[in-house]
Amino acid sequence: MTSVTARLYGPGLPPAGQDVTLRIDGHALRIDAPQRVLPEQGVRLRRVGFDLKGLELAWDDAAGTHALQVLDGSAVENLTRALPATLQSAHSELTRSARKENSGRRLGWAVLGLFLAAPVILLALFLVFADPIAGWIAEQIPIEQERQLGEASFAQMKDDLKLRDDTEAARMLRELGARLTRGSRYTYAFHLADKPEINAFAMPGGIVVVHTGLIRATTRPEELAGVLAHEVQHVELRHSLKSIVKQLGLSALWMFATGDLGSGMAGSAATDLLTLKFSRDAEREADAHGLDTLIRSGIDPQGMPDFFRILAEKAGDAPAALLSTHPQSAEREAALREKLGALPAHSAQPLPWKPWPPVL
Amino acid sequence: MAMDVVDYEIFGNEMQYVEIELDPGEAAIGEAGAMMMMQQGIEMDTVFGDGSAQQGGLFGKLLGAGKRLLTGESLFTTVFHNEGNGKRRVAFAAPYPGKIVAVDLAELGGTLMCQKDSFLCAARGVSLGIAFQKKLGAGLFGGEGFIMQKLDGDGMAFVHAGGTLLVKDLAPGEVLRVDTGCVVAFQPSVDFDIQYVGKIKTALFGGEGLFFATLQGPGRVWLQSLPLSRLANRIVMAAPAAGGGGREEGSLLGGLGNILDGDR
Repeated sequence: MTSVTARLYGPGLPPAGQDVTLRIDGHALRIDAPQRVLPEQGVRLRRVGFDLKGLELAWDDAAGTHALQVLDGSAVENLTRALPATLQSAHSELTRSARKENSGRRLGWAVLGLFLAAPVILLALFLVFADPIAGWIAEQIPIEQERQLGEASFAQMKDDLKLRDDTEAARMLRELGARLTRGSRYTYAFHLADKPEINAFAMPGGIVVVHTGLIRATTRPEELAGVLAHEVQHVELRHSLKSIVKQLGLSALWMFATGDLGSGMAGSAATDLLTLKFSRDAEREADAHGLDTLIRSGIDPQGMPDFFRILAEKAGDAPAALLSTHPQSAEREAALREKLGALPAHSAQPLPWKPWPPVL
Repeated sequence: MAMDVVDYEIFGNEMQYVEIELDPGEAAIGEAGAMMMMQQGIEMDTVFGDGSAQQGGLFGKLLGAGKRLLTGESLFTTVFHNEGNGKRRVAFAAPYPGKIVAVDLAELGGTLMCQKDSFLCAARGVSLGIAFQKKLGAGLFGGEGFIMQKLDGDGMAFVHAGGTLLVKDLAPGEVLRVDTGCVVAFQPSVDFDIQYVGKIKTALFGGEGLFFATLQGPGRVWLQSLPLSRLANRIVMAAPAAGGGGREEGSLLGGLGNILDGDR
């Protein structure tokens, strides 16, 4: 004989139910106050309660429908153990369907979670596979379009650059450039800009601009060749296109993943930091490939690390714009020297231009 | 912990407040900010968590407070206890137009599930908990979200509903279909779920959304006629500052009628 505290609802009772004690004695289920006897046949079992852990026994008689509910966990266990055989099978059926429902519910939650997490997952995937994705997309853009893009932005900047393309130094620059870009699929144009900052930059499609300030900072033509080889590799490796793709993808996915949260200061700082990381990766890649270009062109590659030595020394005082989105010059110098040390011996003729630096 | 048996009186019609009479030594807990007035002799204590029973240590308190955060209530509850000699009164006001529901938890079997954010005040000893909606559909489309508030104890508790209140007693197996968002509270014996409206045309143009909330008896349910969110929506829609331009009161002339109305 088992007694379980339960709550009874039905005709003749308060609508909010009444606490009762259910007595189970073999096959007989009865309640003493008020007097109720559950029929042997026709009792329906149902999971109830907000957490669906309770059990309801419902039955009909002449007065109407009665429902007996047990919500407390341990009481439910007691009741379950004491149920007569006829109800046991119904109960195990209920457990089976509850289990099925539970797994369905878990699946639903998983789908919902995945759906909510999708932007974050996409962002993470993008961060991991940014290089191949950007590379693939960049390859889909024809060189002709890339050239137009570069020319359009060059046309915009042209007036500010104070170009000095008719000088002896500019001719030298073009000669050196032609030597470094022999056999390239791009058509290059090298320009000399009369500006004091130590800087040089490449635009998509093969436009390379060198500041006079940079040439003044070099001590021999091989150092300038090192810088040019680096910029040429930015073009060859389509870094501008890739960085546009990466930035667009990153900001779009970032917005998607964080919504309003990511639009504040912290959000833009985070995307900026990532963009800078992409940029520094590109610089390292251009350094490494630039070194190979120098060797292929028969130019002494020592000029490249030598120039970074100069940059590193100047970093303290001169406004070296080249440094901002770039890795530390000293670090780049070390990486290049290491790479050079591992390479087999190579022959190089000194570059002919003397005196150095040329008249600017 | 024994419950404090309190006497109360509800004043007002559409914007109500409830006055609770405390015997010496008795106390009530209130949602922070809900107190309207209190008589001399009533002391106010702010406690971290729900202030119901002695929660075990710091961790228990933090847990209680965390639960309150989830239900959208403040981290602190305020306990009002009568330190005077005679009976003293403290009043709690409803935060928006509607009705205050006085619930005797003892009559309900000790537990009430209610809409989060609807708790107003209770006799000391009533504990505020949360319950997570396990049914995905009901959580997403039931209008009450995934978290509901659970009041446990056997004293009086007061929750607040928007608009006019409907109390309905459901017989075993009786099903009531309710517009989502209109459910304020129900006994845990009631099965809360959703049901697809059934016809695509109704779903799209019927204006009731894709789902009804369904309440299956046995047990008592409390419904509100005007969920706060609906009221807020209408106000924002009608506010010129929010670009609403106003819902007209049915003028045939439309925009021209506005000029004739002369209210702007």
